Formats: sequence, C-alpha cells, structure tokens
Amino acid sequence: MPEVKKLSDGIFEVIKDKKQLATKNLDLGKTVYGEKLITVEGVEYRTWDPRRSKLGAMILKRFNIPLKKDSKVLYLGAASGTTVSHVSDIVSEGAVYAVEFAPRSMRDLIGLASRRKNIHPILADAGKPDSYSHLVEPVDLIFQDVAQPNQAEIAARNATRFLKKDGNLLLSIKARSIDTAANPKEVFKEEVKKLEQAFEPGFEILNAKDLMPYHEDHLGVLAKFKK
Amino acid sequence: MKINTWFGVLDTSRAGEILESRLLSKDIRELALYSLSLRESRSNLPPEGFDLKAVALESGFAESPAEYYSLLHEVTLEAAKVQVSGALTPDQRIIQAVEALDDLNETTNSLSERLFEWYGGYFPESGLGGEDLARFIVKYGSRENVGSEDPLYPKARNSMGAKLEPADEVLLKGFAESVCSLYERRRQIEIYIEDSMELVAPNLKLIAGPMLGARLISLAGSLEKLAEFPSSTIQVIGASKALFKHLRARAPSPKHGIIYSHPLINTAPWWVRGKVARAVASKLSLAARIDFYSGEKDPSLIEKLETKILQIKTLNLRPPEKKPKSGAKPKKKRRK
Repeated sequence: MPEVKKLSDGIFEVIKDKKQLATKNLDLGKTVYGEKLITVEGVEYRTWDPRRSKLGAMILKRFNIPLKKDSKVLYLGAASGTTVSHVSDIVSEGAVYAVEFAPRSMRDLIGLASRRKNIHPILADAGKPDSYSHLVEPVDLIFQDVAQPNQAEIAARNATRFLKKDGNLLLSIKARSIDTAANPKEVFKEEVKKLEQAFEPGFEILNAKDLMPYHEDHLGVLAKFKK
Repeated sequence: MKINTWFGVLDTSRAGEILESRLLSKDIRELALYSLSLRESRSNLPPEGFDLKAVALESGFAESPAEYYSLLHEVTLEAAKVQVSGALTPDQRIIQAVEALDDLNETTNSLSERLFEWYGGYFPESGLGGEDLARFIVKYGSRENVGSEDPLYPKARNSMGAKLEPADEVLLKGFAESVCSLYERRRQIEIYIEDSMELVAPNLKLIAGPMLGARLISLAGSLEKLAEFPSSTIQVIGASKALFKHLRARAPSPKHGIIYSHPLINTAPWWVRGKVARAVASKLSLAARIDFYSGEKDPSLIEKLETKILQIKTLNLRPPEKKPKSGAKPKKKRRK
C-alpha cells in the first residue's frame, strides 16, 4: 500500500517504491504528459516530475510555496501546461490565469484548459500586462518562467498591476536566456539585485536557490512585493 | 473614470463607486471577440489592483463567483482558440513544408540506401542508385524480367547476383514503390515552397532562392522575426554553435551560417567570403523587410548586390599574404 505524506496545501509525497512528488488529480483518470496516476484510499494522485517542472523542483528544494486551494494565480510562461496542470490541481477552488505567447504551446494549453475549469488561458506577451489587464483579477501569487532577458522587469510590471498586498512572486531565472556567455552565478547575483533595487517599490527576496540537480543553470526565487 | 473590462464598460467615481455600467450580453463568442478587441487598447485600462470579479458581481453581470469564473473560463478559452486558428499564417505553412522536406530527405536517403544494399544481392552490376534504382525495381522486379530493349539487358543476363524468389520480389517491389513515392512527395513539396515563397516573400526568393529563403524563415521562426533581425544575425543564422564558441572563448567568429549555401558565397574565393557573406546578408535583411512590410517585388535589389560583389572582388584580387601569428601561442607539437 503506498504511503502519502502531505508537504503543504495540495502538495503531497507519495511513497510507492520511491518517494514521488504528487498532487490530487482534478481531472480523474486523465494524465497530461505521461505522468503516473497512483490511487491511495480512493484518492487519485498525479505524480509530478521535478525535472520537467521548475515549480516541482522548487518544492523539493524546500521553497515554501504559498498556495491554498482557493488561491488565485497568475502564471506567466505557461508553455504546454505541464506545470500549470499541477497548479490547477493545487488551487482546485481557485483560478489560474495562464499566459503564454507561443500559439503552438497555446494549442496544447487549450486542450488542457478545456478539461479543467479553473484554468483561464490567455495568449499574450507577458511583457505587456496592459494587453490582458481587462481579464485578470488581483492574484495571490505570480509564478513566472518566461526565459526572457528582461525577466525581472516583466515580473515587476505584472506585480505592480496584479499582485495583491502581501502577494508573492515565484520566479525561475534561466541564466542562459539572460546572457549565454557569462558565468551563471554572476548572472543570478545581478538578477537578484535587479529584483531588489531596479524597480519601485521593489521585491523583498525571501528565498533564492539554484535548482540543481533538477535543472541546470536555473535559479529559483521566492519574493514578496513591497506594496 | 471609464474602465474597460472583458464584460463591459464601467464608469466609476474617484472613490471607486460604479456610477454607470454598460454590460455585454452573456454570449460567449461575442464576449471573446470583444475581449480580443481590447488587447491593443491603451485607454481606459483597469487601474492597478482593480478587482474585476467584485465589480462584475456588484454591477450584476454575474450572480455568483462561480458564474463569473465559469463565464471567464469559456470566454478566455474561446478567445485563445480564435487567436490560435489565426496564427497559421502563410509563412508558418512554409516553415512546416521546409521541416517536412528535411524529414523527408532524411527518410528517403536511409530507405534508398537500404534498398541499394538489399537489391545489391540480386543484381550488383546494375550501377543504379537512389530514385533510378527504385524505379528499376518497380518496373522489373527480378533482373530476369529485363527486356532486350533495355540498355541494362546484357548486364542483367550475366549478373552474378542471386536468383530473386517470388516472395522476396513482392517485398522488394513494394518497398521500391514506397521509395519512389517519397521522391515524388519531395518534388511536390519543393514546388509548393517555390510557389509560396513567390507569394509570401518574393524579394527574399529573388536574393536567396526559394529553398534558402524558406530555410531562413524557418530558422528565424517567422518572416516577421527575420525582418526584425539585424543583417549580422542573418549572416550567422545556423552557425549558432560556432557563434557561441566565439562569444564564450577565443574562437574566431563565424563568417556565415546557413547562407553559405548561397551560390555567391560558396563560389567566392576564401579570402573574400566573409565580405561577400556580409554583403549578401545585408541585402537578405533588406529583402525580408520589404517582403514583410510592403510586399512589393524590387528587382533592383539583386542588381545592387551583384555590383557590390563585383566591387569586393575587384578590390581583393589576390589572397592576402599570411601573416605570422603574433601573440598567439606556438602550436603544440603532438606527442606520440
């Protein structure tokens, strides 16, 4: 019989042969990207591969993920929806505003969103929050994984517009998309500094760790917006 | 203060009270199209931290949070679908065709080789390969069926190849038919790309030729992106490995990427290749911009390019004398 340990709201560790990160499946019987389904005492869990998800890696790196079942999340850089599906599991009574710019990825995301009522897909440029400000309500968490050179600026613009007071920002910074040639450690230092100082009112960094061994040259950042 | 939202226009007082609201009907399609029309709007944006849901409930657009989210879900989904279906522009079709062509080339070559090896056991002297061999097998099957009118008749009579059993013959013929149809498909795609390039990017086609032009669009991601690239980027598209090696370490910069397949570049003598590549890239970038922004064909572009190339060549008739490398490390002798 597999064993289940609760890590935080909606996030579990299922132990079957080995420890696996998992969320309660909102879309019963269906998988999204070939992950495993494990049923324990009548509850269906969907395993979560930290190597395919920055958020998954952050959880295993002991980031304190501020999500509850009724949280509202603005997810920038939703891609095909691998991680979005798990966020949708966690905020089962909340909402995920999933912003993605590439039409090809949006195609997959639409497939996912049509089966999960709490995902609201938005095809738009995360760098231009004005273009979706008529759709998005104030949110508790912004998760950003956009692989753009100006990620700090994008985060600040969205936080100003949409983040609630005391809301959090979770950021995955890819060193290679900021400067391909520079040393990742230097890039991370610069970016963290930028988050803290370059914008008004700026972020307070709560936690910053690299995502090794799950993702190379990536930094996970949990920050609070000083509003 | 007027505020645009996905469900209507609101007029609020400074304190945030709703004075007036013009709400849309709950027709999903209509709401989705309206939401799309607001994307580019720069006026009447909701202020920072504006609570859309609360206002929707207050103004009576939705009766409950559940209804609000349900409508929002349907509307965003519908809007995204409209955008995705509009995203398949003609240049995207060219990209699909180019990528299909690359896959097809790879498959055709490996299947052709397999056919060559396989049939070689039965008629090694044929001297045929590729499409000719495939057609030969489809036509005759076993070499015993080659008629006396065929120039290969004497070779087929005296071949050292093994006898082809009927069961193997059926198999090989079918296999050869598939290979033939792959070659056929390849021609079809090439024609498609030529025709579409003439419509989508006539200037790029003029300067680069249809295949190189299409490949450039494919590597850039779209004609729009290609038009936005500086010509120095176009010069080294497709040489990213060499470029990053250059940026990271002290490797020499690449002179050309995929544009190397351009006849003006690959026929140029080595000492002007970099200069020629630069000239070609600059005209390619101009061509892409004309194609994306105006779409009119400008034949003077190719003339200007040719004059420029001629100028480069007349100024650099002889290869430069090789300078002894100064400051560079002496080459290490290889030890055995």
